[in-house]
Amino acid sequence: MENNSIQNILESLNYFTPELALMLTFFVLLLVDLFFRKSKYLLPAISLVGFIVSGYLLVYTPDVKGFLFSTGMTNIGLYVIDPFSFFFKILILLAMIYTILFSLSSKEINEAGGNRGEYYVLLSSFALGMFLLTSTIDLLLMYLSFELVSLSSYILAGFTRNVKRSAEASLKYIIFGAVASGAMLYGISILYGLTGTTNLYLINFYLSNQNIESLPLVIAGLLIIGGIGFKISMAPFHFWTPDVYEGAPITITAVLSVASKAAGFALLIRSLKIMFIDYTATNLQSSAWAILSQFKWNELIAGLAVLTMTLGNLAALWQSNLKRMLAYSSIAHAGYMLTGFVILDNQGIMAILIYFFIYLFMNLGAFFVVMLIADKLGSEEMEDYTGLGYKAPFLGVSLTIFLISLTGIPPTAGFVAKLYLFGALIKAKWIWLAVIGVLNSVISLYYYLKVVKNMFLRESEIEYSHNLGHGNLLITLSLLIPTLLFGIYFKPIIEFAEQSVRIFGF
Amino acid sequence: MIPLKYYLILSAAFFSIGIIGVLTRRNAIIIFMCIELMLNAVNLTLVSFSSFFGDSSGQIFVFFVMAVAAAEAAVGLAIIIALFRNKLTINVDEVNIFKW
Amino acid sequence: MITNYFYIAVILPFIGFLFNGLLGSRIKNEKIIGWIGSGVVGIAFLIAVFSFIEVISLPVGERKIIIPLFKWIAVERLDISFSYLIDPLSLVMALVVTGVGFLIHIYSIGYMHGDKGFWRFFAYLNLFIFMMMNLILADNFVLMFLGWEGVGLCSYLLIGFWYDRKFDKSTTADAAKKAFIVNRVGDFGFLLGMFLIYKTFESLNFEEVFVLATKIPLNEVTITLITLFLFIGATGKSAQIPLYVWLPDAMAGPTPVSALIHAATMVTAGVYMVSRCSVLFVQSEVTMMIVAVVGAFTAIFAASMGLVQNDIKKILAYSTISQLGYMFLASGVGAFSAAIFHLTTHAFFKALLFLGAGSVIHAMHEEQNIKNMGGLKTYLPTTYKTFLVASLAIAGIPPLSGFFSKDEILWETYASGYYVLYLIGLITALMTAFYVFRLFNLTFEGKPRFPSHIHPHESPKVMTVPLIILAILSAIGGFIGIPEVFSGEKGNLFKNWLHPIYEPAETYLFHVNLHSHATEILLMIISVLAGVAGILMARHFYLKSIKPIDWAISKFKKLYNVLFNKYYVDEIYDLLIVTPIVKVSEKFLWKINDTLLIDGFINGTAEIINDLAKVIRKVQTGIVQFYALIMIFGITLIIFLLLI
Repeated sequence: MENNSIQNILESLNYFTPELALMLTFFVLLLVDLFFRKSKYLLPAISLVGFIVSGYLLVYTPDVKGFLFSTGMTNIGLYVIDPFSFFFKILILLAMIYTILFSLSSKEINEAGGNRGEYYVLLSSFALGMFLLTSTIDLLLMYLSFELVSLSSYILAGFTRNVKRSAEASLKYIIFGAVASGAMLYGISILYGLTGTTNLYLINFYLSNQNIESLPLVIAGLLIIGGIGFKISMAPFHFWTPDVYEGAPITITAVLSVASKAAGFALLIRSLKIMFIDYTATNLQSSAWAILSQFKWNELIAGLAVLTMTLGNLAALWQSNLKRMLAYSSIAHAGYMLTGFVILDNQGIMAILIYFFIYLFMNLGAFFVVMLIADKLGSEEMEDYTGLGYKAPFLGVSLTIFLISLTGIPPTAGFVAKLYLFGALIKAKWIWLAVIGVLNSVISLYYYLKVVKNMFLRESEIEYSHNLGHGNLLITLSLLIPTLLFGIYFKPIIEFAEQSVRIFGF
Repeated sequence: MIPLKYYLILSAAFFSIGIIGVLTRRNAIIIFMCIELMLNAVNLTLVSFSSFFGDSSGQIFVFFVMAVAAAEAAVGLAIIIALFRNKLTINVDEVNIFKW
Repeated sequence: MITNYFYIAVILPFIGFLFNGLLGSRIKNEKIIGWIGSGVVGIAFLIAVFSFIEVISLPVGERKIIIPLFKWIAVERLDISFSYLIDPLSLVMALVVTGVGFLIHIYSIGYMHGDKGFWRFFAYLNLFIFMMMNLILADNFVLMFLGWEGVGLCSYLLIGFWYDRKFDKSTTADAAKKAFIVNRVGDFGFLLGMFLIYKTFESLNFEEVFVLATKIPLNEVTITLITLFLFIGATGKSAQIPLYVWLPDAMAGPTPVSALIHAATMVTAGVYMVSRCSVLFVQSEVTMMIVAVVGAFTAIFAASMGLVQNDIKKILAYSTISQLGYMFLASGVGAFSAAIFHLTTHAFFKALLFLGAGSVIHAMHEEQNIKNMGGLKTYLPTTYKTFLVASLAIAGIPPLSGFFSKDEILWETYASGYYVLYLIGLITALMTAFYVFRLFNLTFEGKPRFPSHIHPHESPKVMTVPLIILAILSAIGGFIGIPEVFSGEKGNLFKNWLHPIYEPAETYLFHVNLHSHATEILLMIISVLAGVAGILMARHFYLKSIKPIDWAISKFKKLYNVLFNKYYVDEIYDLLIVTPIVKVSEKFLWKINDTLLIDGFINGTAEIINDLAKVIRKVQTGIVQFYALIMIFGITLIIFLLLI
């Protein structure tokens, strides 16, 4: 018995190599930072290599046979590797690689003083945490990886510690985050009390075979959703988002808005689907929320989704700071994606995956251009963007394309994302939700195009000349081309997403 | 033997006190103490369930929660210091450059 | 097989477009830009030639190759892919487009020399070829429509290429707009046709639609509507009555553009589309009738306007409309292969005419009025000779290419019993010969009428070589389609080549060929006589003595004015369509509907949302404890909601 479990753990490590690579990166960075503090390119280079190696291992991991790290009958495992987690891990790695590249040319990071080593060390632990989040099937590991992500991001958000607003963002983030994770932990403890196990599959087993009192189950479920809702900035757990996004260094804002949100969504989908699905039901559509059937959970999520996108979009209307506007817009996008979660069948999840993949490019692109301009202008205020379209035509046009894509207008990729999302909603007969989604997109058009209007339709006397380096040009192009290409040729993403909806055990 | 219910009520009370503390106190350090209180309330729940079930995983959970709480406190204090250097205050209601 | 890589021939021009469009303004070297722009089309032409050789060696039944590239849009039943269909018809079109296109690209290197928008010109031309290839190679309606709109866009861009120049009474930009808007009317018809096809057949794939069309019983009204809508699309793109008005104005563009887009390729897209959908068209007698009648009337109508114009390019523009009319006439009587045959020969000689005209205009320093030319044959010997070949070809003098193709159309019209239409076609042939040689005589023959300070000079080699090649093609191009009467057992090669395409359609046509070979030869002689008569009349009136024509003009002053003013069609359209639309738009749609109702509603909503947003964003107080409070409050509220 003992032998067996040790053997299982050792065997499991074979499948765990991408995460191990990230851990190794973390330690190497920590050590290298001690000795080669002065070098500018060494640390980012090591991080990049670490991420790429991890990606390589990820792609070439053998197909999984069962649960990882199982230690006998009562503990059937902590971790699974399936196409679903693969999709999100690829997404996270892409976002991390872009973040490193952004950081290389970010004035904010390079002039932050202090210890730049910490920045890259924390980014790698951040990535590790998100990796664990996408694959965990145990409440304990879920909590730990959740905290790993949170703690890394608290520090990263306040990394430019000499800047007042950075410290403020960090403080707000940690207080809000600690309360949210405390609440989630309380939910976890109640769920443990109800079922006597921390494994999601076993929880599902108990829930479907025994009569469970509904009040504690509701409270537990809701507190857990709340905790995850904090990560994906779902209303009413989204309040930290604008403040933190505005205060944090822009590279961190970008990665928070894409990667950590992706990890949150992966966790949300996986944990709720595993815990509350009814395996015996034949119809996938109705089985999704089966165990919680005494409440209309999907209507609750639908309501929260509407609230999230509406609040995000309405608040974005009046923003004058571009970073803050993008923060609100990212809340709105979380709202759109939540509508896919309402359906929770393969169509809905596929739509979310497609949305995320496209969102990665367009949102990172928008943040990157804003960063480049902010580094030059020293401001993210919309007023300062006046006439920029003529002084920096490449950046102006790129930003315009990213914003149009975020609105969801063809021929950009954003349109495809919304098309599949709303298409799935209509197919699942959630027509009112789709209508609200479209109306919200219309509202969003206003504030996105306000930026474009400022850039192209107004004259200004501000002197501005931008000499993009080749590197920055390439990075922008590498984000711009997918944003345009996937608007026309989107078959590969659809196929990738189709393959990736398979969650282990389904 | 004290019934499980009592433990749970006690921990719920701790948790509520913690939350109320977080919501009402101005001083950031006291807020962090209240968060610790919340986490310890959770710990109490976990331990009592664990002993009720005769299952060790709840207690293992508690150890990890403690470790995380310590880490969180460390990060929190560091952030508070950074904030104090910049603003010379640790009252959270005075930290509001960002709004609307 | 090279054919399997045919998509390269499509992509290459696009690469050329990207290269010239993105880097052209920095390179500034006309040689590089021009030769890359031409080179990509040249390679595409070579690929087409090799594929042609390969396909021709295949057995007849297998001459249909589909090259799937990728699925584009796949939603439930709707399945639209980027895949190309290589069959005899699309190969003919591809050869014409890339071949003539290549020559015109080369010619443009000389013609556009020194223009400040040189790179822009080649970028547009390459984009045009790319779009045109998509149009003709598409294996479904949507991809075809993409190309269809794409060439429309390129046409718009190129007509307005010299956007800062005057044209007629307005600007080139107005001409471009006119072309675009009139085309939109046609495109609307095409779209409706597509919707109806999808509704009827639940597919937009050519293969599926055409097979289904022969299998399932079709409602008479539905098929008539489908084909009529498609035909409206064709009249827009191919400048037929009533939507032809944009083509004369399209001459505002540079001359190579007129040759490539507005004579040889794009305007024939409508003919191609009708030909491609022949199975659908033949199932509606009404539509076929309309196509034939519209074609015949356009032919004579445009030719009559061409008789009196003085602008060298305008005459050719009306001539193009008229010749396109012939092609529709052929399609309408079910002689689709004759239409494509004429399309091919027309591409040769009309491109040549335009390029020759370009050479003349070049030599005359942008003078386009033929009244101010004359006697150019000594100055421009090559242009003169090639122009003569093209003129003889279009006049239908054997054995030049125009003779065979035009005669086949006339013969088929006669054979299918449309005697009136045949007569119209014959008269048009006479008029064609007349106006072309009027143009020819006034330009090249006689005494110079231009001011002495102009010293015309022959164009450089880069321009004359394409002229010579096109002249050879115009001369011998007809031999690919020698009618059965002469070739005997082998039959009409061109017709046989295209036969597999039209086989399904032909079952619907009840062609009882009652007419003997003797009749055919007799008709041939008549049409040659008509051509010769036209030439001689032109020679007599415009070379020997100018008096009779002056007399005729003064005698029929009214008729002359009507013709000269193009039947006042532009004015009538202006009065009946444009002015009412503008008035209604201004008085009602804009001032009442738009400003009051829609703006009122929209702005009202926007204001409400804006005010709401102003309130809502105050929730974000900036105090973190308040955030936490809302979070806790939210959870509590939801628990209550769920338990109720």
